[in-house]
Amino acid sequence: MRGWPAVLWCRIVNRQAFAQKEYGAAGVPRAALVSFAIFALLGVVFAAVSTYDFVAHLDRQVHAITCSIVPGLGPRDASGTSGCHVVLMSPYSSVFRSLTWGGIPIALPALGVFAFLFFRGVDLSLRRGVRRGETSFLIVAALLPVATSAVYLWISEVELGTVCTVCAGIYAASLGVLVTAIWAHLGASPTAAGTDSNAGQWLLYFLEGCALVLIPVMLYMVQKPPYPDALTGKNELRHPEDRYGVMLKSKSTGSVPAIEVLDPLCPACKAFSHRLAASDLGRDLALQTVLFPLDKDCNWMVNESLHPGSCAVSEAVLCAGEKSGVVLEWAFAHQPELLAAGGHGQAEVYARLKQDFPALAPCLAQPLVRTRLNRSLRWVVSNSLPVLTPQLFVRNHKIPDEDTDLGLDFVLARTLENSTGARGEVRP
Amino acid sequence: MRLDKLHFLLALGTLLAVALPATVWTRASATRLTESLSKASDVATASAANEGYCSGNLKQILRRVLTSCGLIQGGGSRGCQPLQARQVAAMSGGDFNSLFAPLAERAAIIQFDLDKADLDPPAMELLEKTFADQRGASFFLVVSRASPEGSVEHNRELSHHRGDAVLEHIKGKFNDPELEQEVGLLWLGEEFAQLDQDFCKWRRSRTEGACTTADLNRSAFIAWIDCRL
Repeated sequence: MRGWPAVLWCRIVNRQAFAQKEYGAAGVPRAALVSFAIFALLGVVFAAVSTYDFVAHLDRQVHAITCSIVPGLGPRDASGTSGCHVVLMSPYSSVFRSLTWGGIPIALPALGVFAFLFFRGVDLSLRRGVRRGETSFLIVAALLPVATSAVYLWISEVELGTVCTVCAGIYAASLGVLVTAIWAHLGASPTAAGTDSNAGQWLLYFLEGCALVLIPVMLYMVQKPPYPDALTGKNELRHPEDRYGVMLKSKSTGSVPAIEVLDPLCPACKAFSHRLAASDLGRDLALQTVLFPLDKDCNWMVNESLHPGSCAVSEAVLCAGEKSGVVLEWAFAHQPELLAAGGHGQAEVYARLKQDFPALAPCLAQPLVRTRLNRSLRWVVSNSLPVLTPQLFVRNHKIPDEDTDLGLDFVLARTLENSTGARGEVRP
Repeated sequence: MRLDKLHFLLALGTLLAVALPATVWTRASATRLTESLSKASDVATASAANEGYCSGNLKQILRRVLTSCGLIQGGGSRGCQPLQARQVAAMSGGDFNSLFAPLAERAAIIQFDLDKADLDPPAMELLEKTFADQRGASFFLVVSRASPEGSVEHNRELSHHRGDAVLEHIKGKFNDPELEQEVGLLWLGEEFAQLDQDFCKWRRSRTEGACTTADLNRSAFIAWIDCRL
């Protein structure tokens, strides 16, 4: 083993001395392989950053995340408003969410794949000669991140309506490895292509790739914190009944009674509602909504308006009656403009509401709707809920606030399972 | 196929480079989770308002008034007559009125015609607007009065009718299931705590013309009380 560092060094600095007969003399442009390794390394960096941000959230706390094309240089997103945050908290950022809290971050196997490609690029670029069979393997291997990137880009654009900067780095790296792999393949000598050893070599590389993907995933599963069972079903609604008539029915078709407490101008509520709608388990819920605007204009429990203008928007949601869902979705879609308008006063928000929903104008800012909104806040008071949004109650049991993002599917699955088991003991 | 040791070294190095950080990051999260579970939440809990003006003295008076007027204990009778109000308040009329000074922003004076107990449109509008502005208040106080014209007994009855008119309008308009637990009613006739000229500056349903003490006391004083008793 003493000589291996020297061998490695000599291979890099004096490749001529290490021409190896078993690989033949077929020439592959060295620049192509080095470029391949650089793109793979780029993928490693972006996937590692994404994995780090995801894993940091396993502690159920809120963290700033990297959202820069040059990780480490740009400011980290602490507000939760960036595309990176939307993607990270979306149901697509991990798999097997119902089985383990948060699931397995898709960035972790991506890290393994890019690390494997980097390893292959370095390994080949250190050789004197490379066969075409090996460069064609590079192309096949590079297709995996490219295909995954294409799917995720589509999800980002169509399902989430945003693209995360770090993900864009991964997409670029994926494309880079494919292009450079093709470049290396085209530059390789065809003389050794199709030799008998290709199948065995491909199998070995495949197994190496699997090891680089699966071993980190297994270590992650072993090391990740177990979910504290004591947290589920800890808090129960004291007065879940809707004696004020303030609950809004959603269009959900499920049968399990659930109550969502939200602020129409709260970005976290928007993201949460979309996560819930995208979740398979969310479709089991017969969801009702209680408005809890964190705006001091109508909410005496906040000293400063966290979401200025949300009182006016909440009135509009209540005024809309059966079409409350339409107004709520509209508010979610226009949150930045409405918050900016709210910063200048409620009048601007009312004007915007009347412009987009003229039919609601006679109802807005009137005593009856203000009283109804006040009763919505009083429902929150009567249940002594924490002053925050969003909150979700399933069969009157609270989903812990820390579990409404990455842990939603896992905790929802457990809550549904537990409440089903104890259905006879739970209030309807 | 011959694979040299360098190949395996590279593979092993790559594996370690991937697995080690992932392990370290995951373990760090597990440690932070354990620490955070032992900490108490610092998020405020939703509660009714309890403003700075809710001094111990004010709360004591309010509790006495509201209890004696059948509000807090939910008794069958609703409202306090002048003598009761004077007894439970255990203070002069001036002191009683000054209790409400901090409520200037939350109160309004609903005015009536002489010897009448009907709400006119401006009175209804001001009443609805004031009642709708409950915010975090727990109690709505209605203190009705009469100006000194007429007999004491008649004015007692008149102020009672004025208080009832306010209560009935709220009931009809807002259909509040908690109204019985929210509204405290006192009718004072002309006998106790007449409003003085200073109250002309408060929100009134009749803002045109002169404001005399007689005008002021043909009224129901309404206010949300932002105090938790």
